[in-house]
Amino acid sequence: MNLAAVMDAVSTRLDTIANLRCFAYPPAKLTPPAAVVSYPETYTFDETYGRGSDRMTLPIVLVVGRVSDRSARDELGAYCNGTGARSVKAVLQSGTYTAFDSLRVVSIDFDVVSIAGVDYLAALFDLDIFGPGS
Amino acid sequence: MAFVHGKNTYISLNAVDLSAFTNTSEFERGADSHDVTTYGKNDHVFSGGLGNNRATMGGVYDNGAAGPRDTIEPLVGTVVTLVRRPEGTGSGLPQDSVSVLVEKYVESSPVADMVTWSCEMQCSDAVTSTNQ
Repeated sequence: MNLAAVMDAVSTRLDTIANLRCFAYPPAKLTPPAAVVSYPETYTFDETYGRGSDRMTLPIVLVVGRVSDRSARDELGAYCNGTGARSVKAVLQSGTYTAFDSLRVVSIDFDVVSIAGVDYLAALFDLDIFGPGS
Repeated sequence: MAFVHGKNTYISLNAVDLSAFTNTSEFERGADSHDVTTYGKNDHVFSGGLGNNRATMGGVYDNGAAGPRDTIEPLVGTVVTLVRRPEGTGSGLPQDSVSVLVEKYVESSPVADMVTWSCEMQCSDAVTSTNQ
């Protein structure tokens, strides 16, 4: 797998969600709602013999409104739902990719991230991506 | 002498290279044992018999035409050639070649992981061990 191509492919697919700004790498600044494809937490080589396949855990950070806003909770919920037009899991897993073989949205952690001094509600998605080793 | 990593291991069945879909394989060399203990002995005495060898392999499922399903499933119950190179492909590296009866092909689908496969084979006749 080519890391840059994988991150681009995931970002491109995420960009099909209406009104969500998507970045294929961590940007210098962003305006919520936005999704950032970050660098892999783990990149495991040699899942099969002869450089047959590799695997990575790729995080996506999705930031919505201020943490104290009820509307932020509702908006984040739409991205975190298992189904629906704004469901990150549904949208990513229904995509067709050439940069890798398989993608699964495994889990979500919730956190608060500070951007320009403002605390925003964020969801941290973990993606399990499996693809060719060479 | 040096320890050898398993990542370069090569394995093919019926001349189809399955290495890219395989992440585990075993080649077991064994022999029958015959009890030839006679009166007066305080311990069993054994004599070696015929060779009896087995092989297994498994890995990650792939839906391509040369993947494990399309390759192995039609071979269950037939005798074909297994080639295994534990140190990979290269001049002077060891290779075992043997006819095997493909006894079992198994697919497993865990809900939270990739589909995997495994294959069990009974060796038929002598193993040819050579250097490539």
